[in-house]
Amino acid sequence: MNEAASPSARIRLVLLGMALIAAGMVVQLVRVQFGPYAPVFKDLGSSSGGRMERVIPDRGLVFDRNGKLLAANATMYYMEVEVRQLTQASVQAIPDVISTLLSQDPKDIRVQLARDWVGQGQLRIRLTRRGSDGKTWPITIDEGIADVIKGFMTADSGLDLSGLSLVGAPRRIYPTGSLLGHVLGFVNQEGKGFFGIEGYYDEWLSGKPITIERPLIPPEARLQPDPPAGVNLVLSIDVNMQQMVETVLENAIETSQAESGQVMVMDPRTGEILAMASWPTLDPEEYEPWLAKEQAKEVVISPAASAQYEPGSTFKVLVMAAALDAGVVKPEDEFIDTGEIEVGGNIIRNWDGNAWGSQTMTGCMQHSLNVCLAFVGSQKLGAGLLYGYLNAFGIGQLTGIDLAGEVQGNLRTPRNVDWTESDLGTNSFGQGVSVTPVQLLSAVAAVANRGVMVQPHLVREVVGPQGVYWPKTTVLGKPITADTAEVLTEMLAQSLENETSYATVPGYRLAGKTGTAQVPGEFGYDPDSTVASFIGWGPVLDPQFVVYVRIDKPQNSPWGSVVAAPVFQDVVERLVVMMNIPPDPVRMELAGGG
Amino acid sequence: MLLLTSLLTIGGMYLTVSSKVAQAGRQVMTYEARRQELLQANADMRSKLAELTIPERLLERAQSLGFKPAGPDDIEYIEVQGYTPQAAFVAPRPLGSIEPGPAGLSPAFTETLGAWLSRLIGVGGSRP
Repeated sequence: MNEAASPSARIRLVLLGMALIAAGMVVQLVRVQFGPYAPVFKDLGSSSGGRMERVIPDRGLVFDRNGKLLAANATMYYMEVEVRQLTQASVQAIPDVISTLLSQDPKDIRVQLARDWVGQGQLRIRLTRRGSDGKTWPITIDEGIADVIKGFMTADSGLDLSGLSLVGAPRRIYPTGSLLGHVLGFVNQEGKGFFGIEGYYDEWLSGKPITIERPLIPPEARLQPDPPAGVNLVLSIDVNMQQMVETVLENAIETSQAESGQVMVMDPRTGEILAMASWPTLDPEEYEPWLAKEQAKEVVISPAASAQYEPGSTFKVLVMAAALDAGVVKPEDEFIDTGEIEVGGNIIRNWDGNAWGSQTMTGCMQHSLNVCLAFVGSQKLGAGLLYGYLNAFGIGQLTGIDLAGEVQGNLRTPRNVDWTESDLGTNSFGQGVSVTPVQLLSAVAAVANRGVMVQPHLVREVVGPQGVYWPKTTVLGKPITADTAEVLTEMLAQSLENETSYATVPGYRLAGKTGTAQVPGEFGYDPDSTVASFIGWGPVLDPQFVVYVRIDKPQNSPWGSVVAAPVFQDVVERLVVMMNIPPDPVRMELAGGG
Repeated sequence: MLLLTSLLTIGGMYLTVSSKVAQAGRQVMTYEARRQELLQANADMRSKLAELTIPERLLERAQSLGFKPAGPDDIEYIEVQGYTPQAAFVAPRPLGSIEPGPAGLSPAFTETLGAWLSRLIGVGGSRP
């Protein structure tokens, strides 16, 4: 055996090794210079040792008043394809995998992969799908499906998915699903908030993106600054109360076979909205159909603040409040109801078309007599006083609630050219005037809150990088005196006890008013549909909640006393437990010290 | 020979320091990436936890265990002297609110030789 190769052979071996290494380096240089990733390397070479990167901060979180998470961030993935990396096998496999996992038409994906992207100067594409609205949207997948695909991407899966990559991006998620959809609004794929809280506080929630230079060479690496984060919000909503209210509303819609409905609960002392339910519900993660309908003006996303309607008899609370406060009537004043009254050439009749004879003002409210209220509005108050008070109650004005898209309703006054004297009569019983639910809620809450009207709001705490901020209660005005509020509350409590037994709750003295409003259409009022409503508060001696109920186009009965009052009762029965409000006798006993 | 040895020593030191810096930089990059992953995982887990504790789910669970919503008649109120109601919930500060220092490194690593000499002889003032 030749024990050792000759020195020259060893030298040749070393030289061969060195030549191979040199050849490898040359190949790598050629690949970098002219290979498929040449543009990427070219970009890197032209950058000054780092890559400019736009860093978007996490969107702020939204909590309910007890700390339940309502809006958060998760990761979604876009499916992108590096077209030069595609192989014959992966062009077949990628559409198959996507169609299997996402019920997507594989042909559509194949068409996208087959296009001459390189010829168009595009080396990387984002796969898309066609939405229910006919538009093209990027395909997005959640973490679970991304994990499955990542598994397929590994070498031992037997699948060739060359070219496919998953690109992570933040996604807004709503753990409570459709529970608060109308309140929260939604965030689109670009991270922009629309409607509700997401729309109103978009700028605060989204923070400020920054551009940083991320070094590519380890010695240059430095800790990078975080972008100024979006604030976290705590809502005044109690999610358990919201759940309860939505369940009650859903049952009421089912029973009455109504088209839609709303229930709101507010603390009249602070203006905090405790629950705000709307039916049909909106899932903020599936907002596309709602957005399309909203753009076609078929629906409104936040009906509490953005949908106006004629309130009907619930509006009589404000007219009677005005008359009592102006001193033009007293609860025991007599009115002889003849069944009709003419105001500005327009004949006004009662809801049942009957004459109710001798009635006190309390009786007028108890039986919801249009004729009596038209008399009070037109002949006792007159236009100056009536519209002055309605303005003070904020009718026809924005409440300033922190929901995007609030509208101001419509109140014609003598200053408007299209106002006629007959408006004075019809406005007095809630016709010919449009309000938003939240407008009526805040106005009536002023009666519950001893004449002080506070701004309704949904955010009770803002937590930002600088600290915590608690918005203060904003007093919008004092449309009536505390004495007037007390007198009217007593009148409405008596009305409820004597007339609307569906709205009473044993152990708790409550005040409230039913409403049955006709629905105006293109050719006058629709004879077949109504808006049944109820607004009430309690406990009368120390009001802690105002509950607003509205059921649109009920089929089982048109009346607020039959359709909406029981909803109020159901809500209050559970509300007093959730708010830890003891029955009146217990509270009086405790207040009396024993 | 002495010159060569000195050059080799300085060169060796330079290489050592450079490799240490590169190693530290690599660690910074790795930790940053890891931090991002953990933040993302934390956000995902928080969302999952929230989904698991939504009222609808808890209500179903409670009902399956035989509980029912309490009505006004089911409650007995008693007076508790000195009872302090639960404090209002305060949301956590947003993540990523903390700005790192200018370079993210201690001055011990960034101070130049000139600055050190100036500090030593008291020209630049003492460090606070």
